[in-house]
Amino acid sequence: MLRAAEMQRHEVVVVGAGLAGQRAALAAIEAGRDVAVVSKLHPLRSHSGAAQGGINAALGKEDSVETHIYDTVKGSDYLGDQDAIEFFCREAGPTVVEMEHFGTIFSRAPDGSLARRAFGGAGFPRTIYAADRTGLALLQGIWERLGTEEFTLYEEWELVRLIVSEGRVQGIVALDRKRGSFEEVAAKSVVIATGPFGRVYGRTTNAHSCTGDGVAAAYYAGALLKDMEFVQFHPTALLETGILITEGARGEGGILKNALGERFMSKYAPRVLELASRDVVSRAIVTEVAEGRGFSGPYGGYVHLELMHLGREKIESRLQEIVDYSRIFAGIDPITQPIPVYPAQHYMMGGIGTDLRGATNLPGLFAAGEAACVSIHGANRLGGNSLLETLVFGKQAGIAAAEYAGSAPRPQVGASDLDAVEAPARAWSSRTDGEDPSTLRTELQQTMERYVGIYRNEADLLEGLKRVRAIKARFGRVRVADQSKVFNLNLTDAIEVGHLIELAEVIVLGAYARTESRGAHARTDYPKRDDEAWMRHTMARRTPEGPNLSYTPVTFTRWEPKERVY
Amino acid sequence: MPDATVSATFDVYRFDPAKDAKPRYDRYTLELAPHTPILSGLLRIRAELDPSLALRYSCRSAICGSCAMQVNSKSRLACETPIGPELARHGRIVVEPMRNQPVLRDLVVDQEPFWRHYEQIEPHLILDPRRPMPEGTPNPMSPEEVERFRETPRCIACGACFSACPAVEADPAFPGPMALAKLYRFVVDPRDQAHQDRLVRIQPGGLWTCLRCHLCTEACPKDVRPSERIRDLKELAVRALGGTEPGSRHAVGFKNNIRDRGLLEESKLVRQTSGLAGVASQIGQGLRLYRKKPEILRAPHRIEGYDEVEKIYETLDSDGEGGP
Repeated sequence: MLRAAEMQRHEVVVVGAGLAGQRAALAAIEAGRDVAVVSKLHPLRSHSGAAQGGINAALGKEDSVETHIYDTVKGSDYLGDQDAIEFFCREAGPTVVEMEHFGTIFSRAPDGSLARRAFGGAGFPRTIYAADRTGLALLQGIWERLGTEEFTLYEEWELVRLIVSEGRVQGIVALDRKRGSFEEVAAKSVVIATGPFGRVYGRTTNAHSCTGDGVAAAYYAGALLKDMEFVQFHPTALLETGILITEGARGEGGILKNALGERFMSKYAPRVLELASRDVVSRAIVTEVAEGRGFSGPYGGYVHLELMHLGREKIESRLQEIVDYSRIFAGIDPITQPIPVYPAQHYMMGGIGTDLRGATNLPGLFAAGEAACVSIHGANRLGGNSLLETLVFGKQAGIAAAEYAGSAPRPQVGASDLDAVEAPARAWSSRTDGEDPSTLRTELQQTMERYVGIYRNEADLLEGLKRVRAIKARFGRVRVADQSKVFNLNLTDAIEVGHLIELAEVIVLGAYARTESRGAHARTDYPKRDDEAWMRHTMARRTPEGPNLSYTPVTFTRWEPKERVY
Repeated sequence: MPDATVSATFDVYRFDPAKDAKPRYDRYTLELAPHTPILSGLLRIRAELDPSLALRYSCRSAICGSCAMQVNSKSRLACETPIGPELARHGRIVVEPMRNQPVLRDLVVDQEPFWRHYEQIEPHLILDPRRPMPEGTPNPMSPEEVERFRETPRCIACGACFSACPAVEADPAFPGPMALAKLYRFVVDPRDQAHQDRLVRIQPGGLWTCLRCHLCTEACPKDVRPSERIRDLKELAVRALGGTEPGSRHAVGFKNNIRDRGLLEESKLVRQTSGLAGVASQIGQGLRLYRKKPEILRAPHRIEGYDEVEKIYETLDSDGEGGP
């Protein structure tokens, strides 16, 4: 591999340039730090841009921050930390206003105010939106604002490893994809904002880039991963591709029907129907199909999402992208036809454990956005809360990382971390025979899909764990066949599948250990929530033998756990 | 049953500047359902046939803008272009990197020129410090103002328009369709306070180099219709700047020129666009043209059916559409 003549050095390095990373970078720049942003994609191609439905803020006259807090606590199935949720919901209004001032183009009500739509699990129409491309609108807004500042962008650099010395994080090692070289970047503090790792599943709404690079690197470095077993499956994704159909479609009045023509949500959530929380709606769809009331087709069972009754005008103006997605990727015209849908992996409630300011258990390491777990979402995230989380906690992590960098000594980075990355990569490339990374990835995804899905049980989880560990062992013989430097996707596949395997192991083990059902974690052998034993966060630490699990209490302030009914 | 498959032949552009003296095309054949997107085909090639194929991709749902490339010579997003119609029309699928940008490897181009032009239009709100944003509340925006944002916010910066644009190919200084559509997005933003300056700064070459071929609009996967946004910018520029620089003088001159007699008088147009100095500088060319085509200086007359032309102008004037 090529070696840079001189090492790059910055005060704060932000890894990931979606909404959380960019907001963190902006905060650190405003605090006067020399900031670098490292991203494996051009920032405008980040997966934040794929978010469709909206961002929650209790701006309506009839709504209140208190209700937003309560809905989020309840949505989390009482696993969210209530101090964090209170802070989060109070920041919502100012955050949305700030993004509007940065230039974000939101949809508007006739009176010129920000338009709002109803979302699942929310007491009032609370979701501010930009048609059905709210993530893209926010991503454009923050990138336009960040573009007016001075910082260094390492574009198409992929994080491989964190540099830890003297108990502190002091930099990163990244692969410069365009040149094919591993590079060290020294930093006084590092913010991980690399988003999710949905690609541990085959059927996911996540982009191919969502491979948890930052979460895996933090885990390797000794950071604790929190609540990793809580995986959100979005109720409505297209069948063959898993492409997302926004909750906004139901927020605008879309309904779900089974093959008998029944609006089946009346059985599962009689009061709010399709606008129940995502875990509830996803389980309802899976149950309908499993009990023979779904449709069946070449890509498995499904139900119908009907928008036709909303009328062409409303569909075309508020769900512009959905119309295109349905036509292009499913051959369906949603103005005249129902959309066949089935749940797909969508969001990771778990991630790098942080406090309210994004700090992790590792000095010098901060995290925000979907890569992090504060925890706001607990066992189940409400729609419209993830975009908000990226901005609220991205800012906090940026401020905290800047503050930390202000008093940290000059980072000490030697060649050993670079060697720790280059040596295995050389071994992968020199093999003439070995495991193909994309085959390993496919097998991992099939395993997670089959054994660690929406409904879980002990036998499946044990089998899943066994299989993930077998794949992990085979990864030791991974082979990179492509010998080129420039844009070697075979090499990035190998790096990424290594990350995914580590994270999958934590998910399965956490799910196996948690003998209750809470939010998105549904155990058929333990169907009840067990507050006495399990109202606590799972914390996973990496050991050479596998994840070591421990548990920490949930923070309560004002809301006592109740049965969760929609 | 899944859809019946067809045999799909991909001819894929391959080039690694570090190793290859010149590009080549590798042929791969796969059995695929006709609705399969090109991107899925390319990923199957990577997984099953050749892991060394380099390309950019991420979301696979036409929202990240990573996988723009030339598909049978058209600029397309690979993730949303199905193989069936391509095979029906061309018999095979020729996949090449985007044009107008240097190739880094295979289907991966260096988008630096594209992003440089984007940066140069100052893609952020420019605010007048004397007019601060409303404290603690969003700016109101009327339905009419919102209507101006029907197309441009959909842009995913994929670069398909930049790849398709012959003006970019001819003149690397031309900002290209995406940058100009982005400029329009700021020029019509009621929050932005530099509309006039933006229109001045983009003159003279920026706008008027556009050939109005509409290939960008054809290429755009998100219906931003960049060529129409460039037309909108020209209208705004003519109105805001009063036809004071050559590009808009040419457009206004063109309009007034035809109004007189219903046909274009080229000899007059030079004066209308470039003034007397312009006439002087082009006198040699004018004389050469006169020798070949003496009728350009014939006594002016109105064309047959001129009243129809007059009606068009009356309608235009009464609509308040004063643009070119």
